[in-house]
Amino acid sequence: MFVLPPPPKYGNAGAPGALLETNNLLEHPTGPEFQLVVGEGTYTLTDELLLATPPPHPSDAPQPNNNPLATTIGPQSAGTKLSLATLSPSRWPTHRQSRGHGAWHPIPPSIQEEAQSPRGDAAPPANGGLFGSATYYSSTVGFGESNPALQVVAAPVKGNKKDQKLKPKNNIIKSNSSYVSRVIPHDNLPKRLAEHSPDGLYAFANINRAFVWLDLSAEAKTENMTKVLFTKAHVLCHDVNAWTKSGSHLDIVMGFNTGDVIWYEPMSQKYARLNKNGAINASPIQCIAWLPHKENLFIAAHTDGTLVVYDKDKEDTAFTPEDGLPTDHAHVDGGQKPAFRIQKSVQSPNQKSNPVAAWSVSNMRINGIAFAPDGQSLAVVCEDGTLTILDYINERVIGVYRSYYGAMLCVTWSPDGRYVLTGGQDDLVSIWSLVDQALVARCVGHESWVTDVKFDPWRCDERNYRFGSIGEDCRLLLWDFSVGMLRRPNVRNRGSFSTHVSANRKESANTVNRIRSNSSREPADGVEIKGDGEVVHAVDSKATVAVLPPVMSKSVDEHPLCWLGFEEKCILASCKDGNNARLAGVCIVC
Amino acid sequence: MSFLSKFKGGASTSTPANASSAGKKDPHTTPATPLEKHLRDVAGPLRTDGSDKFFGFENYGSTCYSNSIVQCLYYSAPFRSHVINFPPSEYLPKPPSANDRPVAPRSTSAIPWPNLTSPARKVPPVPGTPAAAGQKEETKDSPEYRKRMALQAGPVLDMIHDNSNRYGMEESLFTGLKDIFEAILTNSSRMGVVSPHKFLEILRRENEMFRSAMHQDAHEFLNLLLNEVVENVEAFSKQHPPINGVAHANGAPVENGLARKETATNGIDTRWVHDLFEGLLTSETRCLTCENTSQRDEPFLDLSVDLAAHTSVTSCLRKFSAEEMLCERNKFHCDNCGGLQEAEKRMKIKRLPRVLALHLKRFKYTEDLQRLQKLFHRVVYPFYLRLFNTSDDAEDPDRLYELYAVVVHIGGGPYHGHYVSIIKTQDRGWLLFDDELVEPVDKSYVLNFFGGEPIPGLQDAKQLACAYVLFYQETTLEAMLKEQEMEGQKPVPTRTSEGEVAKDVGLNNLRNGVTAHPPAVATPIIPDETDGLESLAHAVTMPSVAAPAVQAPLEPTQTTPAEGLAATNKSWKERRLEAKEKKAAAKAAEKELDEKRKEASAKRVEAWKKADAELKSAIEASKMSAVDEASKRGDEVPKGLAENTAPPGGGLSRFRTTSLNLKNKPKFLSGKDRGPASMEKLPSVRQEVGGQQAVDGNGVADAGELSPATTPEMKSPPVTTPMSPDSARSPMSPDSASKRYRFSIRKKESQGVT
Repeated sequence: MFVLPPPPKYGNAGAPGALLETNNLLEHPTGPEFQLVVGEGTYTLTDELLLATPPPHPSDAPQPNNNPLATTIGPQSAGTKLSLATLSPSRWPTHRQSRGHGAWHPIPPSIQEEAQSPRGDAAPPANGGLFGSATYYSSTVGFGESNPALQVVAAPVKGNKKDQKLKPKNNIIKSNSSYVSRVIPHDNLPKRLAEHSPDGLYAFANINRAFVWLDLSAEAKTENMTKVLFTKAHVLCHDVNAWTKSGSHLDIVMGFNTGDVIWYEPMSQKYARLNKNGAINASPIQCIAWLPHKENLFIAAHTDGTLVVYDKDKEDTAFTPEDGLPTDHAHVDGGQKPAFRIQKSVQSPNQKSNPVAAWSVSNMRINGIAFAPDGQSLAVVCEDGTLTILDYINERVIGVYRSYYGAMLCVTWSPDGRYVLTGGQDDLVSIWSLVDQALVARCVGHESWVTDVKFDPWRCDERNYRFGSIGEDCRLLLWDFSVGMLRRPNVRNRGSFSTHVSANRKESANTVNRIRSNSSREPADGVEIKGDGEVVHAVDSKATVAVLPPVMSKSVDEHPLCWLGFEEKCILASCKDGNNARLAGVCIVC
Repeated sequence: MSFLSKFKGGASTSTPANASSAGKKDPHTTPATPLEKHLRDVAGPLRTDGSDKFFGFENYGSTCYSNSIVQCLYYSAPFRSHVINFPPSEYLPKPPSANDRPVAPRSTSAIPWPNLTSPARKVPPVPGTPAAAGQKEETKDSPEYRKRMALQAGPVLDMIHDNSNRYGMEESLFTGLKDIFEAILTNSSRMGVVSPHKFLEILRRENEMFRSAMHQDAHEFLNLLLNEVVENVEAFSKQHPPINGVAHANGAPVENGLARKETATNGIDTRWVHDLFEGLLTSETRCLTCENTSQRDEPFLDLSVDLAAHTSVTSCLRKFSAEEMLCERNKFHCDNCGGLQEAEKRMKIKRLPRVLALHLKRFKYTEDLQRLQKLFHRVVYPFYLRLFNTSDDAEDPDRLYELYAVVVHIGGGPYHGHYVSIIKTQDRGWLLFDDELVEPVDKSYVLNFFGGEPIPGLQDAKQLACAYVLFYQETTLEAMLKEQEMEGQKPVPTRTSEGEVAKDVGLNNLRNGVTAHPPAVATPIIPDETDGLESLAHAVTMPSVAAPAVQAPLEPTQTTPAEGLAATNKSWKERRLEAKEKKAAAKAAEKELDEKRKEASAKRVEAWKKADAELKSAIEASKMSAVDEASKRGDEVPKGLAENTAPPGGGLSRFRTTSLNLKNKPKFLSGKDRGPASMEKLPSVRQEVGGQQAVDGNGVADAGELSPATTPEMKSPPVTTPMSPDSARSPMSPDSASKRYRFSIRKKESQGVT
């Protein structure tokens, strides 16, 4: 199929001297090309929100470039991503009538510890439900809770719980930091805050050096609640703390291409800056996420392959890895994945300042992280083509899986924690079963790299799963898979080793100081098992893996897409178009 | 290898300029180039396989198509070693005894030399070529300037002689290529410039379509070159009886042409090009009338895939093998039911090539414009690849490929522009080869050439540069892991010549780079021998095993292997010891570890201090050099301004230079090689070729004739169709939108027909 390149969508917005669009636009294109037809009905595009791309800061304006081979790279930018927040305690998964079919029954805790809970995946909903509850979490040992050094600091914060949360120190509007360029709050911010329904959807989005706060449920969707412009730094990722959010408080962390982190509380317009000028780690932050059910801890994935846990309330100090020794060198020579290294353990007695913990997962870029619904494990996907499942609480690797080829770009968990999805440069979405420790199916249908993948928790039950994926091919694909379908014979005939797990794992599960333990635990036949019971899985041949076709595939934008989200009443997608003076699109399909 | 050493000495003396090594340069004119900086930490003797030689190629006026392709072939380790080791030493004519200059070369280039059309040679603009000189922007950072510096710095290997008689072969493209490879290999310098006179002369003499100094198609050239090499090699094998076999009297010169045959009978391996680049496609055609399925296998040397906007190479390959309807004007001749029928056709890969040359069909004939157009579609390509479109009976269908070279086309259309290649070298990372210029680039730079529709008004010339040919070579998962392991340990090369960039990004990199890698630590690894023949994976894709230890970023790492071993032993014992002992051991270990940590951190601090000092000195040095540059620029800028007649900042200077050269070509071609007065006019043959290809594309015949069927002597009269050679590439048949593969072994017999 060959289609002539479409004319530039926004007229001459990109032409030199043309006026840059400074306002967000809302469009309502109609027609069959803006509809998604799936089994359960038709999704129609209701809103296409075009966010104004900020012009580069005058001090940072790009020079006309006459050298086609120039190595000049502008500041690293990411496509527009969204962080969503609903203030009321999410009704999911108990109230799923609007789009769902039938009631949700959480799967009883089963075989695997990481397969326990059906709390949404990394998406914001969900303090509701059994496993999301505080009681559940207080009964299990959480991250860092066995370290008395951490408890001391954490205690006073806990005392304030819910009533009066700690706000950051500095006012962002009155800030005289050169890092922040301008803050444009809405004229009637208090009024709009008051009008906002607790069920309404707030969205936070990054567009190059801008960070906007939108109210997607309001009439005036195009009016930013607040727009923050940074001087040079680009926001690459952000996350809202679903645990601490309330009508008067939202904890947001943003990761920047400079390595800096900003903790921002939009209601009071306060902020604090961490990892200043890369004091702890100077490489860009590719993704960032609050630790599940933690008020003050969040994790940042730096592009040098390091995961760093920060405490929003702590100061930075220059960080020297407490243990820079690659503990697993012998294995590396054997052709295994580069070792997982603990640069600073959460058990470290030195917890006066950030980082709380730091782990080197790869020496290549980390492209995505996702916490398991039960908050016990963390999935990390890297540029080196690996999916690493970490037991981050005990700081160890549970399993390593490989893409068919090329980097992995995105990762998510199924609502029940049984499956992990990854997408990457092999144009595939791969379904991994953690219970079986195996690749279940490869989903073929994208025409280019897969940039984001998410489950639709409203259309999943204990046997059937619905998920969506988007990619560089500008397409949104929807997929259905069911447990029954997966029992196809060819799924089981895999030619790889994978099932050596347990003995070692139990042995080391609660080791406290595991700085060096990796190399000491190698079993005699330890080709596939690395120390700590970490299992490295081989790549399955394409002939032996089930192939899943999509139930729907549609081009939803003219630009490569980069973020996908399922909400109770809509599907959201945003596109990557961030590097020229255009508008970054967010389309909302309901 | 023994063969090589025989005349190593001779060859290196044959080019007297060689003596000057990289370090021997006028200090005040040239601060170290990025490549020099990049190679600064290399010590030890040169390797014998040529993998640590980094030579630019002089541009003879739009010969970048050849330069970029030859570079890609050179850095294919198995290809290089085959070229160098062919013919096998027992077939070589006896070398003349103790003669420094190895026999009188058979012929010397008739092309005027030194080459005046080379843009980079125009140090003082040659009178008579004012147009070309006028376009130049003489800034320190301009590629033109840097290319000129590269040429000045030398050594320049002037390939004006033909040594084919030394190989016992007829002069051919293969011997030309071999001459170049040998010269690079035997030169004592690590970097320099090759001036491929003779090679181009042979190319032009034998191939009408490359005779003009016009912009040519790099992919077409690749295909021609590979086919020529196949032919030359086979011709040699035919001429040479097996050492203990029967004579195979065939003295016919190569030019007379020989049909391609399997000629492995006499023991000379002539199949190596096939072994490397050739794959097998199987096309299944199912006649919709009689339901009969016919199968045909067709070899290919490269795959040409159609492009669509916002796709990946994977998807293009999938589409290549997608089912296709043969109907309407494109019906299938069914042998079973006789006559043209509608049919379904599907092409899958049955045998995977070891080197997959992937041609992205960016030049497409558009009906409404009646000419070729460049497609700027964004097509992403990953560093690693596997093929989905293999047939069920394919061997090793999950073979892993790694990207090792990208040929980039720069320009707005198919009729002009420039080619460069970006190539992964064995252990020096990715390098950019832009004619004379060789520069280290960051790995991420490789992914800058996905393409994408140019945004009108956006002043960024990068938009015009898109990947055109991708070279993937087979590798293994182990090799990939090894390389990923190395990744974090390599210093990040930066093109400091980019000036502005270096400040923000570069400084950071420098800081990181220096802390992590004291430059003195690294030593190159010398492989015992060129074993590229047997195990591609080991020779090429995998940095040598010893490397991690040597290049280890942190000094503590060096202690690790021992420590790790000890730890393993300890733990093995621990299991057998009493709890008490366990505790004691653990304590001891902890202590030990603590000490080590202390030691390590002390070392780190030291390293940082050192690095800091180095950084400071580097900054100092760069300041010095900046002053130098400034003073240099002082006398150059006026000249540049005088020359610069174009409005500043309007368009691509490089791009203009190359297209402008087209106008200079009469100057370039002279003597017996002077073509018809108007070079832009091509012989009618080319059109025929296009037509034949179309037939081929219809799946009717394996015609595959690409041969520009004229010999230089014939001097076909100019034809008035102003058709570019490129048009042959995109046939006008209705099939043009469909996929195409090509294995154009040229059948020389056809020459007689014309």
